[in-house]
Amino acid sequence: MPAAVIGGLAVVVVAFLIYRYYVTPPAPAPLKPDATQLLVTSLTSLPTSQLDAIGLGSANQRLQRVSGKALLGSTGKPEVFYLGAEYCPYCAAERWPLIIALSRFGTFIGLKTTSSSSTDIYPNTPTFTFVGSTFTSQYVDFRAVETSDRNQNPLQSPTSADQALVSAYDNGGSIPFVDFGNRYAFNGSTYLPDILAGLSWQDVATALQQPDSSQSKAILGSANLMTAAICKLTSDQPTAVCSSPAIQALEAKIG
Amino acid sequence: MVVLASVAGLGVSIYLTAVHYAGAAPACPANATINCEAVLSSAYGVIAGTLLPTSLTGIAWFSVNALLWTRPMPRARLAWSVAGLVTVLYLVFIEIVELGAICIWCTAAHVLVVGIFILALMDRQG
Repeated sequence: MPAAVIGGLAVVVVAFLIYRYYVTPPAPAPLKPDATQLLVTSLTSLPTSQLDAIGLGSANQRLQRVSGKALLGSTGKPEVFYLGAEYCPYCAAERWPLIIALSRFGTFIGLKTTSSSSTDIYPNTPTFTFVGSTFTSQYVDFRAVETSDRNQNPLQSPTSADQALVSAYDNGGSIPFVDFGNRYAFNGSTYLPDILAGLSWQDVATALQQPDSSQSKAILGSANLMTAAICKLTSDQPTAVCSSPAIQALEAKIG
Repeated sequence: MVVLASVAGLGVSIYLTAVHYAGAAPACPANATINCEAVLSSAYGVIAGTLLPTSLTGIAWFSVNALLWTRPMPRARLAWSVAGLVTVLYLVFIEIVELGAICIWCTAAHVLVVGIFILALMDRQG
């Protein structure tokens, strides 16, 4: 009797696995460079009034104040450090607000589109990869380490200093991990990737133009939170970005 | 043995509830394919239409089950364990098909429910 029950349950579990294999759609092909550039431009030219109106939106408040030696980048400016992987759906979610926030302080070149793993939770979440991209700013440095591609093949390796930073604030080593100048840090995503499920990159960009969309509230809210943290590093420069009431309110919130 | 299994299941459910309220991080684990945080932080980590963690149903089920096994109620025990088994199959479907992630602690509770079902079946037949 027990063997029959266990055998039956095993058959059911295998059926579930087979069903999942067949219902998971394949990942869409990444956009060509010119289409990607148009996409990035649409993200980085959202009106400030829209961002301000959203405020924190529906972003969770994973961002924590931390204390440690100031994190400076290669040009001596405060550094924003990101550790993630292309397969990880939570990293996929977090790159959208990170790109929007950082683009308020500088310019990305060479971003490419990709999707998170097809076999993980929230499969094929549309996103970008920081691999091969550069960020230039007069206010802040940005450094990204993507440890694996979407198929979990190795890509980039964190340095021992990076590992020490992650270990200091994230004992479990979970990703994404983002550190803002060693004054603020968080791991995990500030919103759940399920709101990006089944959407193309262009769909997400279109949704961000609609202030009432769940994507706007989550992604732009998260971007505002990150913007507030970066403003703290740059002594509220540029003023056009950091002096807005929404950003000032979030700066007060994060302490 | 069933009461012990129920107590163990109760312990796991209480732990999962505590993790929920502590704020399970929606994150990818560093080096594992098993991801409790992904399951617990998903939309299925709470009872539909509420903010109550799904693990509360485990607390309820294991508590009632322990009570039933202290009384001579074989039919009720079997019916309750069937209800538990059906719920487990639904939750495993969610993990495998909808989420693509397995929570090892949830699996521990599921195994206990299956074990209790088998014992209830054997008890009823005996």
